[in-house]
Amino acid sequence: MWSQVKQQLAESTARFLTRFASMVPGLAALVLALLISIVIGCILAAIVRPLLSSMRFDDRLARWGFPSVAEWSPMKSPTLLVSRAIAALVVLTGFLIGIAAVDADWTSQLARSIVAYIPNMLGAALVLLVGSVIARFLARSVLIGAVNLNLHYARLLSLGVKWMVVVLTVAMALEHLRIAPGIVKLAFGILFGGIVITLALAVGLGSKDLVTKSLERDAQKTSSDNVEEPFRHI
Amino acid sequence: MEVEPIPEQVQEKIEQVDSADLVVGVIEELDQDGLAVLCDALRMLPGSPRVVVLRDDRAANPGQSDVEAAEQSGSSCYLVRWPLLGSATPGAPVVGTSSAYQTVFAASEKFGARACCVIASSLEAATPGWVRELAQPLVEGDFDLVLPHYARRKFEGLLNSSIIAPLMRCLYGKRIHYPMGPDLGISRRLFQKMLGTERGAGVGGNSVHSLASLAPAALCENLQVREVHLAARIYPPTDWMNISSLVAQILGPIFLDMERNAACWQRMRVSVPVPAIGEPLLVSQDTETVDISRMMESFQLGIRDLQEIWGLVLPPSTLFELRKLARLPSEQFRMPDELWVRIVYDFALAHRLRTINRDHLLKSMTPLYLAWVSSYAHDLETAGRTASEERLERLSVAYESGKTYLVSRWRWPDRFNP
Repeated sequence: MWSQVKQQLAESTARFLTRFASMVPGLAALVLALLISIVIGCILAAIVRPLLSSMRFDDRLARWGFPSVAEWSPMKSPTLLVSRAIAALVVLTGFLIGIAAVDADWTSQLARSIVAYIPNMLGAALVLLVGSVIARFLARSVLIGAVNLNLHYARLLSLGVKWMVVVLTVAMALEHLRIAPGIVKLAFGILFGGIVITLALAVGLGSKDLVTKSLERDAQKTSSDNVEEPFRHI
Repeated sequence: MEVEPIPEQVQEKIEQVDSADLVVGVIEELDQDGLAVLCDALRMLPGSPRVVVLRDDRAANPGQSDVEAAEQSGSSCYLVRWPLLGSATPGAPVVGTSSAYQTVFAASEKFGARACCVIASSLEAATPGWVRELAQPLVEGDFDLVLPHYARRKFEGLLNSSIIAPLMRCLYGKRIHYPMGPDLGISRRLFQKMLGTERGAGVGGNSVHSLASLAPAALCENLQVREVHLAARIYPPTDWMNISSLVAQILGPIFLDMERNAACWQRMRVSVPVPAIGEPLLVSQDTETVDISRMMESFQLGIRDLQEIWGLVLPPSTLFELRKLARLPSEQFRMPDELWVRIVYDFALAHRLRTINRDHLLKSMTPLYLAWVSSYAHDLETAGRTASEERLERLSVAYESGKTYLVSRWRWPDRFNP
């Protein structure tokens, strides 16, 4: 009886050690792949950072209409964001290569699902990019137009338009990523409607006095328009 | 901007008239009597040239034939109804006028004319005598561009006085008072050049604005330019709802032309007067106080809401000065000429660099322009004609003094940023 137990124990130990021994090269390869990818990532980041700095990437990005990127970048530098993103991508690739050395089946499944998800991620990123450009353009158009019409709530209108487009864009991007589509639709409806009602309340009820004064002023202007004024521009 | 193809009926009329020495395009509406008086005035030109008067076909009486009108007016003056000569393009009056100029140039080329004149002012003010005065130097002398020098009321033509005229003077070195007319005389050499430029620009998609490009083209080519003293013109009343669109329509082509002629204007150092024909005409000036509250309000709103946009265009020192100005009480509000000149130059540079969307850029300049007008009105509300001329001369000198700033920023926009 005892000899049988000993034999089973020895066999299971041998099986475990054999399996572990068979995994050791894979684990070593994983560690090695990670180390190499970290080194390559650091080198690439070190090359990209001064390159982007010399191109005045941060200034150019702000000039192209994306100053908000700086706000959520590390140390408010989009250059740092890009260089770190490149390093992270290289490390992630190294990790996937390393995992493949440990268990090929599991990795191939993971890789397949990641690859299948990439078009959704790219689509969502594109939607976000286009949406942010449109939001900024419309917000500026409304702001400048409203200021030139002497509307005192120009900024409020501009912000309202911007957030409506941003909320719409984020909802579209999440829908594209297939993240909780039901909740997204519901949340979008609530948020979008909320913004519209907020704007209506702010302009209609909350800013009642402001609007009244503005309308009075407009009425005065209209009556003063009838008075011949001397300014001729062109 | 494309010139419409000439319809068949008009083609027949061109064949009837065959050729002309002078083509006169009347953009504003004109009745039959007015046309007859105009033809009488043109017949008094030396050498009795064959003159073709073009008028917008929408303004003409459909029942009346052009030949009849020509016979009524005399054998050397022909009236031709021309399509799309009117300037009334809804929402874009400046673009419409410019397109009408291009149409007149094309018609003049068709008739093989030596010169053409365009009358774009309301003819209540633009008497037939004006047309003769504009045309005479072209017919008699070897001049290429005859510009008007209207008798000026101090608060009229403000966009011209504050930006267009001093900027052109500083850039191209000639002290012309109304570079964009709009009533002009143009030689064959110049209108052919404009037609050629238009065709060339059409290929690259960079359209040429005839009205804004005429004076720079003539000055850069060293063509002969003269001014003619004319009476005051009638300006259309200010449309306050669309003033930003107007600013954008006028300044856009001027800034585009600056880009096109950069090699030319960077060589110019000083300005010289342009010889003028006739005597300056005096016009009565109002000396009552004026209401600038609307314009001040626009500036205050701009300071409150547009600083984010102005910050992309203007250097911090300019923004700081603008903030200081905004805190002044209305009666003490004065915008220094140097500050205004730098603002104009910085906007021209931002237009070139496409710092932000060009339409946004130009429209966001409106509150600043209205601030300058307020300051100018404060300076001159009780002043007479001489004070107004002196004030504008000081502004022109400020433009010239600031040209080194413009050139430096134009050449090294990233390196030279005060």
